[in-house]
Amino acid sequence: MTPRLGLAGRLALAGLLAFGALALGAALGLYAQDYAGAAGPELLSPGPGAWLGTDALGRDLLARAIQGARVSLAVGGGAALGIVALGGLLGALAGLRGGWTDRLLAGLTDAVAAVPPLVILLGAALLLAPGIDTAILAIALTQWSGVFRGVRAEALRLRASDYDRAALAMGAGIWHRLRWHLLPRLRPVLATALVLSFVHAVKVEALLAYFGASAQTLPSWGRLLAESGSELARGIWWPTAAASVPLALLVLCAQVLADRLGEGEPGG
Amino acid sequence: MRALLRRLLVAAATLALVSALVFVVVDALADRATLELGRGAAPEALAARRALLGLDRPYLIRLLEHVGSAMSFQLGESGHEPVTARLWRALAPTLAYALPGFALASVLALGGGFAAARRRGWLDRGLLGLATALMSTSSVILVVLGQHLLAHRLRLFPVLGWPLGGDPRGALVFVLLPALLWALIQLGPDLRHYRALFIRELAAPHVEGLRARGLSEARVARHLLRGALGPVLARVSARLPQLVLGSVVVEHLFNIPGVGALLLAALQRADLPLVQGVAIGLAAATIGGQALCDLLIWRLDPRSRAAREGR
Repeated sequence: MTPRLGLAGRLALAGLLAFGALALGAALGLYAQDYAGAAGPELLSPGPGAWLGTDALGRDLLARAIQGARVSLAVGGGAALGIVALGGLLGALAGLRGGWTDRLLAGLTDAVAAVPPLVILLGAALLLAPGIDTAILAIALTQWSGVFRGVRAEALRLRASDYDRAALAMGAGIWHRLRWHLLPRLRPVLATALVLSFVHAVKVEALLAYFGASAQTLPSWGRLLAESGSELARGIWWPTAAASVPLALLVLCAQVLADRLGEGEPGG
Repeated sequence: MRALLRRLLVAAATLALVSALVFVVVDALADRATLELGRGAAPEALAARRALLGLDRPYLIRLLEHVGSAMSFQLGESGHEPVTARLWRALAPTLAYALPGFALASVLALGGGFAAARRRGWLDRGLLGLATALMSTSSVILVVLGQHLLAHRLRLFPVLGWPLGGDPRGALVFVLLPALLWALIQLGPDLRHYRALFIRELAAPHVEGLRARGLSEARVARHLLRGALGPVLARVSARLPQLVLGSVVVEHLFNIPGVGALLLAALQRADLPLVQGVAIGLAAATIGGQALCDLLIWRLDPRSRAAREGR
């Protein structure tokens, strides 16, 4: 059951794939490699030579923006997988087992959700060595409560169904029920959750990077935004644009895709 | 009454769990003695500092002690001052802009969501597009660009500053722009949430019944809003953690001495007691607020009481 994406959804998917290709090429070293050294005079306005201009240290902003896509996509993708895996497994366990397992896990989720996520996020990122893996870990470990609730509700609904009772009566174990009964039911929900978690993780990464708590060697969009703040007040707009336009575009693409995927669900 | 007691018990248990979690996480991530003396300190000095701080006692004892003191709201000291006092002091500036911003965003989102759900058509599409655009713009971009355009360029507001006891008119001026930006950050998701909520409520059979009896649209809307009160309160309660923390970006860029700024400063100085205190204090405020919202919903919405008793 593939959901119909429509024109907007297909465009969004194409945009995401384009971002992916751009980041992959940069990671393989095909282009945008001179992001760290000075490529020209300082604060050069956009034009031939430096298509997006240069920043206060004379570094090429196009190369830096492309390298930023690597960070955003790596953190967004990694954290989204972590969120869905963790929230999904715990939610399935709570819903399928029920009883005390359910109560304990639901309580744990409430407790995790009650701590303002930013405290843990910034805390983990600044106290540990900040970097891409720390950002992925911190986001995945704190943001799974939404997926947990959705999967748990679905698993509880499954427990009330006749075919799950039949499977239980035939002695099916929890893994069998998870694999053959819950997972097929959850597939559309998980797809939407994956894309939504990606959106969330990319935004959180930008925030972390703004406070210097994300990737250290690679430039990321949040850090570019933080660096461009003082120039913006002087009317130099291109460093800010080079960071904010791709960030907003990436999130917009993923958001539209998530909306299209979640179209059939109630409340979506 | 039993429901009230039970809800309070759940809130207390959640707070205990939160403080235990915070303790475990902080203890696993960072060693206070190393942070205070630096990484290159001699092992003997580190051991002495650990003994001074009581870090050499058994893990379980320290955990229980930590949970106990958190439950009695003794969050330790930081800089020769109780953490609670610093939190209280930081809370006022945060609430000064977050509360008006929150109210503004909620009113706009409720009104917009209701109008979009009822009219559909171009108004709906326009508001939905606006919400998606706002959601796609990272809060960092919103705040940076908002401050630049509205304060630097158009000069509608002062760029930054926080009145430390100046005249009341001046205080208001400084709060306006942060509150507006705060509202913009929150507006996108809320607009979509309330639109979906009102579409569901409008499809309910009793709305059809009211219309069939010939009630005016305004009266129907009043019935509808009362019915939607529970879910709206639930949404407000889900928003509480953000309300007390404020926006770290807003406070950073506008130089507001609020909770977010306190947290950032505590992290940069690696002030563990203050970080723990902020985490637990904010969690306590959130848990308390959520319990209050739940009780309000029970009080206002008979359906939720029936659902509870039926379980």
